[in-house]
Amino acid sequence: MHAAIVGIGHTEYSRDSGRSELKLACEAIGAAMRDAGLRPDEVDGIAKYTMDNNDPVEIARCPGLPRLRFFGGVPYGGGGGPAGTVLLAAMAVTTGQAQAVIAFRAMNERSGRGTPRFGQAWMTDRAEGPFSYLAPYGLFSPAQMVAMAARRHMHLYGTESRHFGEIARICRHHANLNPDAMMHGKPMTLEDHQASRMIADPLRLLDCCLETDGGAAVIVTTPEFARDLCQPPVHIAAAGMGGGAWNNRFMVKDAEAVHNETTVITEHLFQDAGITHDDIDVLFIYDHFTPMVLMALEDFRFCPRGEGKDFIGDGSRFRWPQGHLPMNTSGGNLSEGYMHGMQNIIEAVRQLRGTAPCQVQGAQHAFVSAGNAVPSSAMILRRDG
Amino acid sequence: MSHAADFPYPVPEPGTEPFWEGCNAERLLMQRCNACRKLRWHPAPLCIWCQHEEHEWVPVSGRGRIHTWTVITHPVHPAAVDHVPYVVVEVALDEQSDLRMVSNLVDCDPVDIVMDAAVEVCFRRHASGQKLPVFRLVHRNT
Ligand SMILES: [Zn+2]
Repeated sequence: MHAAIVGIGHTEYSRDSGRSELKLACEAIGAAMRDAGLRPDEVDGIAKYTMDNNDPVEIARCPGLPRLRFFGGVPYGGGGGPAGTVLLAAMAVTTGQAQAVIAFRAMNERSGRGTPRFGQAWMTDRAEGPFSYLAPYGLFSPAQMVAMAARRHMHLYGTESRHFGEIARICRHHANLNPDAMMHGKPMTLEDHQASRMIADPLRLLDCCLETDGGAAVIVTTPEFARDLCQPPVHIAAAGMGGGAWNNRFMVKDAEAVHNETTVITEHLFQDAGITHDDIDVLFIYDHFTPMVLMALEDFRFCPRGEGKDFIGDGSRFRWPQGHLPMNTSGGNLSEGYMHGMQNIIEAVRQLRGTAPCQVQGAQHAFVSAGNAVPSSAMILRRDG
Repeated sequence: MSHAADFPYPVPEPGTEPFWEGCNAERLLMQRCNACRKLRWHPAPLCIWCQHEEHEWVPVSGRGRIHTWTVITHPVHPAAVDHVPYVVVEVALDEQSDLRMVSNLVDCDPVDIVMDAAVEVCFRRHASGQKLPVFRLVHRNT
């Protein structure tokens, strides 16, 4: 990969933006272009989440991109989307299909102004295709499907709800140090977690990510073009997508499958970046649901499978500033805002620029994953030096 | 939230009608590959194990064990308002170790559910008229 992130931008994260999803996208993209110091005629590509309601032509029209040379989408929401759109953008500039490519996510997922709330998204009375084997039984939402994988993991390895709670607390700790986070000023104890209401047993409310209105964008270009821009480039050292062997299932994660959406990425990612796990200074594990963070840590081989509960422990390893491996340092999907993972990429870039609220001193490598339990993506980012 | 009569009804696709017709006759049918003889779930146009294109719909016992489950307490569909709490279960069928299907566990108190508990199929008539395979706990010696 021969590409770098040179611009980041986002709106405020809220429960009701009061404006259209197109306006949110334009605000985030405009902020990212100003951050990079890019003129509209220098940006010529758009990589979007397939499920984002914004049309690439509308996106190109508003910031006034005169020559759109590349557009593409990545499916599977927060699984393909966050690292996957950056990967798509990086491939476009690496192969010369475009000079500078926007990757973005914008949605009114909390207020429902355009995007239905994912936790309540199934309002149709028909179940078609693979969903006809799930929805007639009342299995609709990601939380419900994840609960089944979490239960299996608890059975196999002795994982407990309190381990999930510590993951929620790591993100909340960082949100309380980030004034822009939706959950800033709202500390969480393990007792709060254990007392939160059950959504789909064993998943509690505080195991689930936020619902958010907002927009977030990054801009990717070549290292050569990056030299003349405003910000130090953050290089895409490696990136990958992954889907497992979904042999006997659809969307319900198999907790013991040898090969899955995450392990497929792991097989190549660190080798491609030319580093090991020990070189990672700051960690961004996609946090749609706390049990999936634990399982991602295992499948990305930060710890052996089954030892996630011990690796999480009391969470201190992952808490800035004392922890050796600070995770989701702006609060993540769980406590900063649910921008389908794009907010974690923005924070990873801030960390590697040295401008994060919870700045990891001298951070050189950041690991960023997208959502697991669906086909997924991940990347390793690196600063010069 | 308005109340719907039932959860979404399944819309059969070309090639999967035998499964749904079997359910209406209270028989659980699955595709068995004519070459490698393995069963597969959910339906697929060719064998997911050996890619052979010919298959037969064969009855399975409907007996299996609980692989995992969730007790859903938060309704996310209008019909769920009248159903919560309800149990979604993944059943590992006796016929083949890697043959598992998602369904409901009915007629049980959630506190009685344990991993690997024996279950057997029964059928529930959906509001649309289609019968659905669901499972209940059975007590049997192993
Ligand atoms: Zn076969």
